[in-house]
Amino acid sequence: MYPLEGSTDRIERLGTAGPIFFHFRVDTHLMTERKSPTSLGGRAESGLLIGLVAVLVLFVVSGLVSYFNTRTLNRNGRLVTHTHEVLSALAEVLSLVKDAETGQRGFVITGEEKYLEPHAAALIRINARVDDIARFSQDSPEQLARIPALRAGLKAKLQELDETIALRRTKGFDAARAVVLTDRGKAAMDAIRDQVELMQQDERTRRVQRLTEMDNAYRVAVVSGVVTGLIGVLLSLAVAYLLRQALFTQQRQKWLQSGQIGVTDVMAGDQRLQQLGENLLRFLVEYLDAHAGAFFVQVGGSYRRVATYGTPVDGGAPAGFEAGDGLLGQAVKDSRTILIRDVPEGYLRVSSALGQGTPRHLLIAPLTADDTVNAVLELGFIHPVDDSVLELFERISEAIGVAVRSVSYRTDLQNLLEETQRQAEEMQAQGEELRVSNEELEEQSRALKESQTRLELQQAELEQTNSQLEEQTQLLETQKDDVSRSKAVLQVQARELEQASQYKSDFLANMSHELRTPLNSSLILAKLLADNREGNLSAEQVQYAETIQAAGNDLLALINDILDLSKIESGHMELSLDSVRLTRLVDDLSRTFDPMAQQKGLKFRTQILPGCPETLSTDRMRLEQVLKNIVSNALKFTEQGEVTLSVSRATDGRISFAVVDTGIGIPEHQQQVVFEAFRQADGTTNRRYGGTGLGLSISRELTRLLGGDIHLASEPGRGSTFTVTIPEIYDSALVSPRGLPTPQPSPPSSLVVHPRSPEMTSPQPATGAVPVRVHRIDDDRERLTGNSRVILIVEDDEPFARILYDLAHELDFQCLIATTAEEGLAVAAQYRPSAVVLDVGLPDHSGLSVLDRLKHDARTRHVPVHIVSGGDYTQTALSLGAVGYLLKPVKREQLVDALKGLETRLSQRMRRVLVVEDDPVQLDSLRRLLGSHEVEAIGAENAAACLEKLRDQTFDCMVLDLTLPDASGYSLLETLSREDAYAFPPVIVYTGRELSVNEEQQLRRYSKSIIIKGAKSPERLLDEVTLFLHQVVSDLPVEQQRMLEKARSRDAAIEGRRILLVEDDVRNVFALTSILEPRGAIIQIARNGREALESLEKFQGKPDQAIDLVLMDVMMPEMDGITATREIRKRPEWKKLPVIMLTAKAMKDDQERCLSAGANDYMAKPLDIEKLLSLVRVWMPR
Amino acid sequence: MSDKTEDIELRLLLEAIFRKYHYDFRGYSMASVKRRLGQAKLHFGCTTFSMLQDRVLHDSTVLPELLSFLTVQVSELFRDPSYFRVLREQVVPHLRTYPSLKVWVAGCSAGEELYSLAILFREEGLEERTLFYGTDINPDALKRAEAGVYGLDRIPLFTENHRKSGGKSSLSDYYTAAYGAAVFDKTLRQRAVFSDHSLVSDEVFAEMQLISCRNVLIYFDVEIQNRAIGLFKDSLVRKGFLGLGAKETLRFSQHAEVFTEFAHNERIYQKQGAL
Repeated sequence: MYPLEGSTDRIERLGTAGPIFFHFRVDTHLMTERKSPTSLGGRAESGLLIGLVAVLVLFVVSGLVSYFNTRTLNRNGRLVTHTHEVLSALAEVLSLVKDAETGQRGFVITGEEKYLEPHAAALIRINARVDDIARFSQDSPEQLARIPALRAGLKAKLQELDETIALRRTKGFDAARAVVLTDRGKAAMDAIRDQVELMQQDERTRRVQRLTEMDNAYRVAVVSGVVTGLIGVLLSLAVAYLLRQALFTQQRQKWLQSGQIGVTDVMAGDQRLQQLGENLLRFLVEYLDAHAGAFFVQVGGSYRRVATYGTPVDGGAPAGFEAGDGLLGQAVKDSRTILIRDVPEGYLRVSSALGQGTPRHLLIAPLTADDTVNAVLELGFIHPVDDSVLELFERISEAIGVAVRSVSYRTDLQNLLEETQRQAEEMQAQGEELRVSNEELEEQSRALKESQTRLELQQAELEQTNSQLEEQTQLLETQKDDVSRSKAVLQVQARELEQASQYKSDFLANMSHELRTPLNSSLILAKLLADNREGNLSAEQVQYAETIQAAGNDLLALINDILDLSKIESGHMELSLDSVRLTRLVDDLSRTFDPMAQQKGLKFRTQILPGCPETLSTDRMRLEQVLKNIVSNALKFTEQGEVTLSVSRATDGRISFAVVDTGIGIPEHQQQVVFEAFRQADGTTNRRYGGTGLGLSISRELTRLLGGDIHLASEPGRGSTFTVTIPEIYDSALVSPRGLPTPQPSPPSSLVVHPRSPEMTSPQPATGAVPVRVHRIDDDRERLTGNSRVILIVEDDEPFARILYDLAHELDFQCLIATTAEEGLAVAAQYRPSAVVLDVGLPDHSGLSVLDRLKHDARTRHVPVHIVSGGDYTQTALSLGAVGYLLKPVKREQLVDALKGLETRLSQRMRRVLVVEDDPVQLDSLRRLLGSHEVEAIGAENAAACLEKLRDQTFDCMVLDLTLPDASGYSLLETLSREDAYAFPPVIVYTGRELSVNEEQQLRRYSKSIIIKGAKSPERLLDEVTLFLHQVVSDLPVEQQRMLEKARSRDAAIEGRRILLVEDDVRNVFALTSILEPRGAIIQIARNGREALESLEKFQGKPDQAIDLVLMDVMMPEMDGITATREIRKRPEWKKLPVIMLTAKAMKDDQERCLSAGANDYMAKPLDIEKLLSLVRVWMPR
Repeated sequence: MSDKTEDIELRLLLEAIFRKYHYDFRGYSMASVKRRLGQAKLHFGCTTFSMLQDRVLHDSTVLPELLSFLTVQVSELFRDPSYFRVLREQVVPHLRTYPSLKVWVAGCSAGEELYSLAILFREEGLEERTLFYGTDINPDALKRAEAGVYGLDRIPLFTENHRKSGGKSSLSDYYTAAYGAAVFDKTLRQRAVFSDHSLVSDEVFAEMQLISCRNVLIYFDVEIQNRAIGLFKDSLVRKGFLGLGAKETLRFSQHAEVFTEFAHNERIYQKQGAL
């Protein structure tokens, strides 16, 4: 705004600015020569001051001059007097000497004393006078010097005088006269006279001198007086002039100031430029006694007229000018006020604003603000313009400049403001648009945020899933670990087993020999006995011996088989290879078995198909053994038809011997089993066909040793085909290792049995062939009587099952036996036994799963199950619902106890449920729903029947429909609770009606469980009833329990007190009521804060019913506990009412909130009964 | 800055929030809390969690805003319609057998789920006997839930969800639209109690037949999940129902054995009582 360059510009202008000459007188007045009004006034004042000082100095000087003159006169006067005194003293001294002389002379002459008188008087005074002279002559050393001479003269004279006088007296006249005649006296006298004369002379000279001095002093005094007077007059005149000057200056200042003030006043206020100009012109013209004026303001680079005064509007002042254009421009350019005096008549060439007028004098004043000319004022005067006008302009120039600038600024501001407002409006419009787009953006951003949060959610979900996956992985890992651990264990066990098996085989191999030795002798001896060589045995005894021999032979065959097997297993079997002719082999077999076949009425055919070699290289004996075994088996199991042995070359080049029979066949699932040691397709086969069951195992092993294998193809009832395939030439490399499943994959049963379960190694390995074995153990299923005492034994160990069976019979149970889990479940479902004794290690599933399934089947879940097992699964079994657990081996007494335990359970009376329902169809279906082996559901169709039944009988539980023909369910319940004549079992309300909160509240007092009929209600009813029956078992009768409870829990502090329980949760209401009511408290219930207040209000007026204490829940609908407590505390009459709050919130804050709301105390849920009671006791008013 | 330092700061911040305001986020799943506080950190212009901690501790006005960062407020009416369909078709028949019902929406956020349930219960004629509890730790959310005002733009989605959930009436019966927002019928919350309740620190407050706690557990760590599920277990009646979010499961909870799966896909569980 105020560029620095402005000042330098100005300096340059000043530097070059010379005086401006026109041919008329131009007074220029440099703006920069302005002096402040105070300095102007100061000059006048200092002049005045100097004048005054000069007057003072004058007076002081003239005073001093007078003083010194007077002093000189005084001193000289005194000195003259002094001289005069000296003179007179000298004269007197002389006179006195003369007097003394006179007296002496007179005496001398006369002798008369009287003449001495003047002498005496003179003597006295002479010395005094001489002293006086000496004193007066202190200032004159010459005179002082003369005084001793004088004194000497005087002394001499006086001495002469005294001598003469004394002589006269003494010697008389003559003597004296002589002396006098000596002229001594005269000489002395002359000396004195000379001295006095000298001194007088001196004094006189001095007096003249002093008188002259005095004359001079007088002259000086006169002259100085005149001069002082003159100067005084002059100075007075000067001071008067100065005073007048000062006054004038002051007036001028005043004029200037009032002009300034006037200008300032005119400019005051919020004016526009034109208005300002007009006001200014009007004021200045009037104030300065001008006649015309114009006012220009800088607008942009040029100056524009904004106001005129006293000039015609048209053709008067120009509308504007540029800097340097004309006088106005010059004034601007030079930044100085131009005063043009005595404008010539008709002088119009000057492009002044007032061209048409004829003002005699013009004043052009640039108005500056911060050294920038921003306005020009031109005034025309008729009369001459004095300097004060210029000075005024000097003074107001800046003010006006500033004002103009301010106005300009203000105008600018105004314009800017308008601009701003316009822009603001525009902005508003834009803002509106922005807002709209912002809203859209917000919308979008909200959508974005939403999707972000959604993403967040998804992320969290993903994390959750991830963590779950991790957990699952971990679980899998654990399982994997478990599996690998088990695998390791299994491997160890397998190794151990293998080793054990090896030991076993070794042992058997050894044992068999050891066995054969004594057996041999027994056989021999039996044979001897049977032969009865002595003939001393009875036929019977011979038969015994033959039986012994036969048994011995069987035993021997068995031992041989075992030996073979164990040899093979232990690897002790050795082969002796040789060349075997096929025809011979077949013929031998044919020869061996033909008789046997014929004996059975069968046909045994042999054939060697083409393509077979003549000889085989193998162990003939072993091959024969295998074929013999198979053929003999085939014959054994074939009742009719034929057995064929055919030899052919198999597709792989080996030789196969196929034995085809038309016998009973082997079921598919048995086909694997037949090859296993000690197994046969059907356990019963043993007894029917004899044999050890080892044959096929041995055959398989031998075939394996020969480098071949056995295949079985069979269909039950159609016959079987055993095919033995061996290589044409034995090669030990072809021998497969032992244990490989030769004919079939491993049996499925091995999957079921837990590897560590003791059952696996139990001595019942033959139970693998399950479903076929039906009724293996005899039981009572065909002989069941109506007696409900039936016990089911699920046990795969037959002897043990038998023992249990006998024991059950002893205890008068009928007994069913199942040996597998599936059978057990089937039997349980079919026969509904009243108790079950269950083994855990069953061949197909674990007994625990049987237990679980029994407990999850509605038909069997009530049946008590007792476990007897070799493994310890006590916890699991009991948690699954078993009533007892015995660990094998068990003692008989334990078993007896267990069964007796089951018996007591059974002998307990039936659970009885009273069903009160008016609709017969419903009643029937409910009875059927609830009734079971142990639950007897008894119906009552109306309240009367119900009451009757409850009076006569006891029930464990009662299911009540609320709508009854003769009374409402409520009144029935109330009757029951009121009258002791009726038993009051636990009630399950079962109603088709929806209940209001009040109704529910009312019912809750009697019933723990309320069920609304609907699609799912039977399920829930059964559930609740079952729950009830289970809960009440082994408890005292409820009534009795209640009485006991009542007697025990009366509490003096609580007895008879009224407690308002404010709680919306029915369960809590019930719980708290059942805690407090037995202790004698009278409970009022409110379900929310508002009801609590109403309740308090209601009982307020009745002293016998007033509430003693409030238990207040916090979280309630309508009005929460905090608000309710505050409301309570607002009432003066309830200020002291104890309020205990029950809060589920754990934080200290919440509890503080309770207390600050006005509660006396609080208690956190879950509620501790003892703590609650003690709190109630503490706060209960006494 | 190392992650370790940041983790320390984060834990200190959570500890500070807990000590000062008793909002316990310490048991929340760390990754999620870290992400969300990271956003809060940016929002408040802090460079570290420690700075945020300073702000939170000394300027209590920061907390409400911070809470809305910490608690994820996203839901919609009838979110996952199949969940509500199963509630309607399979759970409601069971609930009908109770004379009075209590339903707890734990972590109700802005109330969408509670209103959904209220509408569902009204449609099924159970509303009259039901009391709904909506709890959350965020007071702002509770206020919004109580107001029941949702953006009009969300209504189409709500309507669609409602229809898919097997809605028997028109959703428009339950709200009034005005000024770009939809105000849900005041009568829907007549039977609703909104309250501040923390699954982390607070206790059981009433016996419930149905608890719906969807997408809350995912923000908790295992310990707090167990606590919350324990609360649900203690709150539920025997045979009561617990509904969880689509990605939540009880399988790994220590209370898993108390519940049986009622509807596997919808994560609805039923509490089993001991006989």
